[in-house]
Amino acid sequence: MEIHETTDVLVNLKDIDDRPGPYCMSFGFNLRLITQSIKRIGLVNSPFLIENGHGKLIIITGYRRIQALKSLGRDKTPCKILSKSDHSPLECLLLNLYDNIAIRKLNDVEKGMVLCRLENYINKTEILEQYMPLLDLPSHEATSLFFMKLEKELENDIKEYLVQGHLSLKIARMFLGMETEDRMRVFHLISSIKFNINQQGQLINFLTDLSRIHSKSIQEILREHSFENICSDTLLNNPQKAKALLYQLRVKRFPTLHQAEITFKNKILKLGLPKDIRINAPPYFEGPQYRLEILFKDGEELVGKIKSLSNIDDLKELKNPWEEEI
Amino acid sequence: MPDFTIKKVIVEKGVHGQALTNKILTRVKGIPVQTIDEVETGKRRDESDMGKENIYLMHYKGEFLKPCPGTREYICCGYKILNVGTNCPLDCSYCILQSYLNQPNLRVFVNLQQELKQVLDIIDNSPDSVFRVGTGEFTDSLAVDHITGLSDIIVPPFSKRKNAVLELKTKTTNVKRLLSSKYRDRIILSWSLNSPYISAREEHKAVSLEKRLKSARQCQSEGFILGFHFDPIIFHPQWKEEYLKTLELLDKYIDPKGVIWISLGSFRFIQGLKPIIRSRHPGTCVLDGEFIMGLDGKMRYFKPIRIDLYSFMRENLEKWYPNPGLYLCMESDDVWYKSMRWSPGNSAGLSDYLNKRVDDIFK
Repeated sequence: MEIHETTDVLVNLKDIDDRPGPYCMSFGFNLRLITQSIKRIGLVNSPFLIENGHGKLIIITGYRRIQALKSLGRDKTPCKILSKSDHSPLECLLLNLYDNIAIRKLNDVEKGMVLCRLENYINKTEILEQYMPLLDLPSHEATSLFFMKLEKELENDIKEYLVQGHLSLKIARMFLGMETEDRMRVFHLISSIKFNINQQGQLINFLTDLSRIHSKSIQEILREHSFENICSDTLLNNPQKAKALLYQLRVKRFPTLHQAEITFKNKILKLGLPKDIRINAPPYFEGPQYRLEILFKDGEELVGKIKSLSNIDDLKELKNPWEEEI
Repeated sequence: MPDFTIKKVIVEKGVHGQALTNKILTRVKGIPVQTIDEVETGKRRDESDMGKENIYLMHYKGEFLKPCPGTREYICCGYKILNVGTNCPLDCSYCILQSYLNQPNLRVFVNLQQELKQVLDIIDNSPDSVFRVGTGEFTDSLAVDHITGLSDIIVPPFSKRKNAVLELKTKTTNVKRLLSSKYRDRIILSWSLNSPYISAREEHKAVSLEKRLKSARQCQSEGFILGFHFDPIIFHPQWKEEYLKTLELLDKYIDPKGVIWISLGSFRFIQGLKPIIRSRHPGTCVLDGEFIMGLDGKMRYFKPIRIDLYSFMRENLEKWYPNPGLYLCMESDDVWYKSMRWSPGNSAGLSDYLNKRVDDIFK
């Protein structure tokens, strides 16, 4: 396919169907820059259009330019119009694709849009071998399916959040594994409390696990008082809410571990260790040994602290928290 | 017969005409056979489809005898793996192979026949060592034995060696070839066991526990020494009652005197396995427990939960038979003491214990 030199014609903007259409691969863009550019130096490249057969023109390339022109209140613009009889939908699609990738990197949702559209015209093997590398993606079927799912299954709000960099692809993948209502509830929570990316992963993991373990939907879990109270607590700021929610979820997800941590903490408190002496448990109590930390200025102070430590009778009773009598 | 189907056999060009390839091809009459230049390695698979219905017959370039990939943070039994192939036609939801192997399809290494001599040389060159060798680490030892006939190749030489035992571990009843062979000495037939709840829900395409144990009984009655592996033990609702049901079946079908060992291992997994399990087995309960990151970086149950699981199993297995050869797979010294009431201290100690079991049973 080759587009031969085409002359610009002046087109009324109202004659252009300005919905994204079958060839558009733009998502989550900001019109400000392109609007400023057109305002300052005019339209550098004319959009390509094609007749739809019902009196309207469909955008092949230049979707954002048309939007910008409209926002600037222009009513006419120079465009290149291709004849429907001379150009197949695949050619139009490829025109858009190459026009875009020549000048910018596509975001993840746009990559999904490309793959979804190509799927209508090109076989799987060709997409994997030719087009995945073009999109900077590995030629794996699973990757291709994942990007298509992003486009097809995720709600626009989530896609926007993703392309703005507030969600990672890993989290998007987790969202895809959730029921729509649950997904939207979690997304609302993430976006309103502004969980960071690490916290998002923990939140979804806890909720997914708890939902399965307790045979409850994620929405039902989040309706529990302990969680609703945190969300509506006006004394907490967003980072504090995120932390408190994750703590509560962890307590619910790991009851035995949590109980052990509390028992250990209380036991250590009861020991009344001298100032600057700490006893730490190994991570998750998995390692066999506990750690004693003593801060001291000199040998004399160290000896004094060791003596005071040795006078604590209950120290001998220190054991794994699950072996303590509660 | 096994409860799975093989839909295609893919033969690497280089192994065409080899004796084992030819034998296998005569056993798969009616199944489409495709020849390819070379099996691609390192190609990431689609996690949802592990190609469990295709068998690759291929040349394996690596070492056939390898130590079990234990870690020094936990006590390892010092097992050796005879790498006869990878992947498994069964589809247990908890299976580590879903993330451990980045290659799809059942892979049978048909150059084993030629390379076996090197393996046997290693064994023969260390007459003072005991080689406990198994094929069930990266695949089920017997699931496709009716097709591959690998047992015909590996059982006879192992049976003749006095410083080695060969353990074939399975969740199937595919023992026909073994029963028809004349070899019994130094061969251990082992079954992986679980609770009926886990077996029915999570061990897809594996036969029922009762069938496994009936098959084990038949092998025992025909002179084979048996082993059992409760691995992975999974914490689940009514786990005590459920595991007791399996122990009742064990008591019903098996004479404990002919059992060389019973291993216990609680479910552990690398973090990357979790999303794969969630996506391949959405209804699974295997991820429900309280998992923490172990010293080896794998997820495992919080220590007191593991101690509970093992203690319960030990107590009840010892009621069945006072010295059933229990050991823990990849556990720490303190967990050994708390649950087993003794500890081998380290991996060498556990090896010694198991080697002595070998010596005692194969006098």
